[in-house]
Amino acid sequence: MFDVVTDIFGHFLDPRKRVYLGYLLVSVLIAILWLIFFRGKSFSNSIKFLFDKQIWFSKSSRADFFVFLINRCISIIISPVLITQMVIATAIFYWLHGVSWLQSGSLQHIPDYIIVMSFTISIFLLDDFSKYWVHRWMHKWPILWALHKVHHSAEVLTPLTVYRTHPLEGIVFTIRGTFTQGISISSFIFFFGNSVDLLTVLGANVFLFLFNTAGSNLRHSHIGIRYWSWLEYIFISPAQHQLHHSIDIAHHDKNFGAALAVWDYIFGSLHHSEEVESLHLGIETDDKNFNKLSTLYLSPVLEIIQIISRRTGNIFSKLKSIKR
Amino acid sequence: MKSKAKIAVASAITALCLSSYVQAGDVYGPFPVTLKGYSGNKTNSVSYTGQIGRQVLHTSLKKLSSQGNGGANAGRIKAEMMSYFGGTDKNKAILAPVDKGDFNIKQETMRDISNTNLAGKASKGVVNGWPGQMTGRETLEFMIDKAASTNKGFDPSTGYDYIQLISKFTMGAVFYHQACDNYLDEKMGADKKPNNKPYKEGKHYTGKEHSWDEAFGYFGAVAHTLKLTPEQSYNVAKMKDLAAADANGDGLVDLKSEMTFAHAYYASSFDKGGKTNYLETITKAFIDGRQIITDAKGEALTDAERGKIVNLAGVICSNWEKVIAEAVFKYAGSVYNDVTKLEELVASNSDTKKAFRTYAKHWGELKGFALSLQTGKYNLGETGTKLNRLMGMGPLLMNASQVTGINSSGEFLKDEGSGWGEYKLHMLKVQKLMIDAFQVKARNKDKLSDMSNLAEKLGGSNSSEND
Repeated sequence: MFDVVTDIFGHFLDPRKRVYLGYLLVSVLIAILWLIFFRGKSFSNSIKFLFDKQIWFSKSSRADFFVFLINRCISIIISPVLITQMVIATAIFYWLHGVSWLQSGSLQHIPDYIIVMSFTISIFLLDDFSKYWVHRWMHKWPILWALHKVHHSAEVLTPLTVYRTHPLEGIVFTIRGTFTQGISISSFIFFFGNSVDLLTVLGANVFLFLFNTAGSNLRHSHIGIRYWSWLEYIFISPAQHQLHHSIDIAHHDKNFGAALAVWDYIFGSLHHSEEVESLHLGIETDDKNFNKLSTLYLSPVLEIIQIISRRTGNIFSKLKSIKR
Repeated sequence: MKSKAKIAVASAITALCLSSYVQAGDVYGPFPVTLKGYSGNKTNSVSYTGQIGRQVLHTSLKKLSSQGNGGANAGRIKAEMMSYFGGTDKNKAILAPVDKGDFNIKQETMRDISNTNLAGKASKGVVNGWPGQMTGRETLEFMIDKAASTNKGFDPSTGYDYIQLISKFTMGAVFYHQACDNYLDEKMGADKKPNNKPYKEGKHYTGKEHSWDEAFGYFGAVAHTLKLTPEQSYNVAKMKDLAAADANGDGLVDLKSEMTFAHAYYASSFDKGGKTNYLETITKAFIDGRQIITDAKGEALTDAERGKIVNLAGVICSNWEKVIAEAVFKYAGSVYNDVTKLEELVASNSDTKKAFRTYAKHWGELKGFALSLQTGKYNLGETGTKLNRLMGMGPLLMNASQVTGINSSGEFLKDEGSGWGEYKLHMLKVQKLMIDAFQVKARNKDKLSDMSNLAEKLGGSNSSEND
């Protein structure tokens, strides 16, 4: 029983997860300081604003919490059957040995600190880059959007919204992580040998640690911290990500980046933050109540079935018309 | 409390501690004579001096394997080696182990242990994975012949390190083969070497007692292994820990019961890493089995007793097999590292002679253990075939050629082998094969562990965090 509880709530104690208590605490501090110094609020008003009951105990937030609990349980069950990064890494490692013009260990003479720093930066960049593209496809491809709209159905944002994810979408994320880790690990070990290591703080990638201590949890919050314009070309500010959740059509398909904004800039989806009183968050739902758990879990599956049957129907009718 | 009383209490506590540490059943022997009708004055039925004799013939043979000087002394060295292999002279000196520092060996000549031989006990099955389709005995004789003509046991033209090949294959073709394919297998049958008869006419031990003892002798563990840590057993083999070896405290190491040999040494080397306990598992099974046989009090074993014995023999041989598989795993990793080193040296136009010698040594150990693995009770089938094909008949040479066979004159034939990268891949596959087929756990020099450690550090790829 204790193990199950640890498995479910372990993310709050794991510095490799965004909702690690330390990161949440730092985010609260950043938010209070920002409200005091940039919004002119008193300390007590800042606290009231930050922990607004209408946000934290809204139907949307409660749904976030239950989705988190249910998804953790589902994850415990299905994780063991998913392909692991070691399977991918081993396959690539084997394959690299068979490429005659490549030589394993050929770069292992490079000083260790360069190897460690290169690996740490590379895996952070590859991870962030792949997150950008998977996120973009989540918005662009109808089948994936059917899943991703669960996340976007949140009407208010709290740090726990990061877990408002359909389980099938969670599988897609896991596969993404499996491939990025598998590719990075195998290629680095192949070329650099056993000097490859990850530069960590509290066990987390140092860059991920910096990203999280810089208030990553405020992305999913009502604290609209904006960066300088030039900085928003490099890093996604909380306000930029909140804008990504906006229902306004002008904000659609913008700011897909996780930590870095450079991908959005390069691929034309960057939108700088705006000074707004408040954003209308969520999705056009066709009267569906996405705060209801049955709708959250089942409607994406039904929608995917409809999309597939519609498309296969179209193919059949085209085939029939060709025969005629 | 008066000082005498204090000493008495301290002594009592010490005695209590020692008695809990040295429990009955921790030592392989002595066991009483149980043979019905025995009227002699022997009180201990344990006897495996013949096996210790073979352990010492093996260590001495290994020593001799490195004494060739490139051909000039080939005839003499071969004759010397054959005399140990064939056991033709009981006055032969023990060449190894010999005194080292305070680690003084009790015996000096073979006569002090047993007049025995290796040749007669070598596997009679065909050795796959070595050129020539020879039997175990023929293979060892062939290797001895070649070794005598080399300079210090190494043939650079083929990459064969005969010191390692002869040593590691002898351990399999004689020790492991005899123990697991004979004494713990056939001789544990109901009709073979019964417990209600002497092993041989005139002997004071029964058929089953001695068969079991002989298998223990082939394993090579010291009799009091269960009182030692794996590290201590290891250091006994390395002749670094006299206190651990010298169970009777006479200041000498009695090779008959106080020396770690062969596979017991390898078991200790893996166990000291903390992931396995092969040495304890095997030794305990030997002691437990011997106790069951002793408890039968000279009667023929019942089906139930024999069933227990067969189960323990299974425990011994499956763990023994894993020890050999662990060695294959380890040396496949070493060969991988050596090839990487050679590639680096070639790329920088540096001298490869020393690195190639190290590579050949590790390859010889790899091949020796791989051949040994195939001398057990069961035919390894596809696993054996894969193993032999992955490493080939000889190490991949600097010009990417490899021994592929021998001609009718016994000369090696060579042909183009795989590329270096592919050969390293073969070593990775050998390691995977040892995991899949034998579930090895110690996994020294694991070439995939760097990746799995890194994967663990990254914290898994399972993520439901959404943006």
